[in-house]
Amino acid sequence: MKPSEETLMAYVDGELDAAARARVAGAIAADPEVAQRVAAHEALRGRLRATFDAVLEEPVPPHLVALVQARAKEPARGQLLQFPTKRTPQRAWLQWSSLAASFVLGALMWQFGSRLFAPGPLSESHGEFVASGALARALSGQLSAQQNPSDTVQIGLSFRSRRGDFCRAFHLQGSLATAGLACHDHEVWKVQVLAHDEVSQVATGQYRQAASSLPPTLLGAINEMIAGDPLDAAAEGQARAGGWQGKP
Amino acid sequence: MPPISEALSVQIVELLPRLRRFARTLAGNPSDADDLVQICIERALTRSEQLRSDAPLAGWMFGILRNAWIDEARARARRTRVFAPEELGEHVADPAGAHAEILPVQQAMQRLPDEQREVIGLVLVEGLSYSEAAQITGVPVGTVTSRLARGREALQAILRDGEQEQA
Repeated sequence: MKPSEETLMAYVDGELDAAARARVAGAIAADPEVAQRVAAHEALRGRLRATFDAVLEEPVPPHLVALVQARAKEPARGQLLQFPTKRTPQRAWLQWSSLAASFVLGALMWQFGSRLFAPGPLSESHGEFVASGALARALSGQLSAQQNPSDTVQIGLSFRSRRGDFCRAFHLQGSLATAGLACHDHEVWKVQVLAHDEVSQVATGQYRQAASSLPPTLLGAINEMIAGDPLDAAAEGQARAGGWQGKP
Repeated sequence: MPPISEALSVQIVELLPRLRRFARTLAGNPSDADDLVQICIERALTRSEQLRSDAPLAGWMFGILRNAWIDEARARARRTRVFAPEELGEHVADPAGAHAEILPVQQAMQRLPDEQREVIGLVLVEGLSYSEAAQITGVPVGTVTSRLARGREALQAILRDGEQEQA
């Protein structure tokens, strides 16, 4: 007796128990017509998989990853150094008083002074940190969709903050991997947050999504500041064309 | 909204490629599909306390994504009723010959009725069992198998016709 069409589909879908599977296998061996019908079902399944499995190879859009990660609890790993804006220099430096923070800052200043970062990506101005050199150039000119993985500065998300200005997350590659967030204000990029990025050190050489490789603590800061969604490629291009001028 | 655990956020991020694939089987258009994934994430995060720690995350999120798509499809149906003449005209005027080269399988999927497309996506593409697909779509297993059978038949016919027209 020939197996029903429904049984053949269940066979291809892996829904049959061992006994029923053996009966279908017998029918396939005995009857070329059954074998042909099973082959047609398998071919369709294979064609569907071949078509849609291509999606698995695509990079996941960073805004989807950021949406999930921004809601995660603050993890223990990673250090978040928050630069308070519009504060007196003394109070800003108080934020740096913990040993860990001093270590990271010291290491950064050492690295920034080295040949990797001439003339240095950070400068201090009236108690605030301002991007300079390669970091400033990347923040103003680099589009996240068109960057070379070998660039020293990698731009992650760009977004508009609740204050109306444009902000961009960035990575500094090097021996001390660092991630940060800078907002465009009065023609300069003010660095709001800088975090020691252990994640990207571990993942050196591996391809990672721009947003997924941001330390979760930094994503938490972005989540607090962001108004609406991150900019897509087109909006990012427009913002650059407009000189990153936010709302007055 | 309460924060989610680091472990759950990692699991959801790992699931994103599959959620995007499932959304693509439903929506066809990549940007609509990613919009569905975004709605799915937002809804899942709001309801994360509904997720039992022993429940499979994938099935739960596929169900949320599927329901988001149904909501979108209903909204679209309302719009289509208003703009019916042009929109229908565009679909009919799209000759198989002109776009036959562009991923005929995706196009064929889009021509299936919603109820068949979702079970094809869940079982044939995502590899879920009939009972998981039944749970997600809220119908008995028997209904899943009959929709699968009709969907397969329709897909084969659409693909065969497309190939004949090309030949």
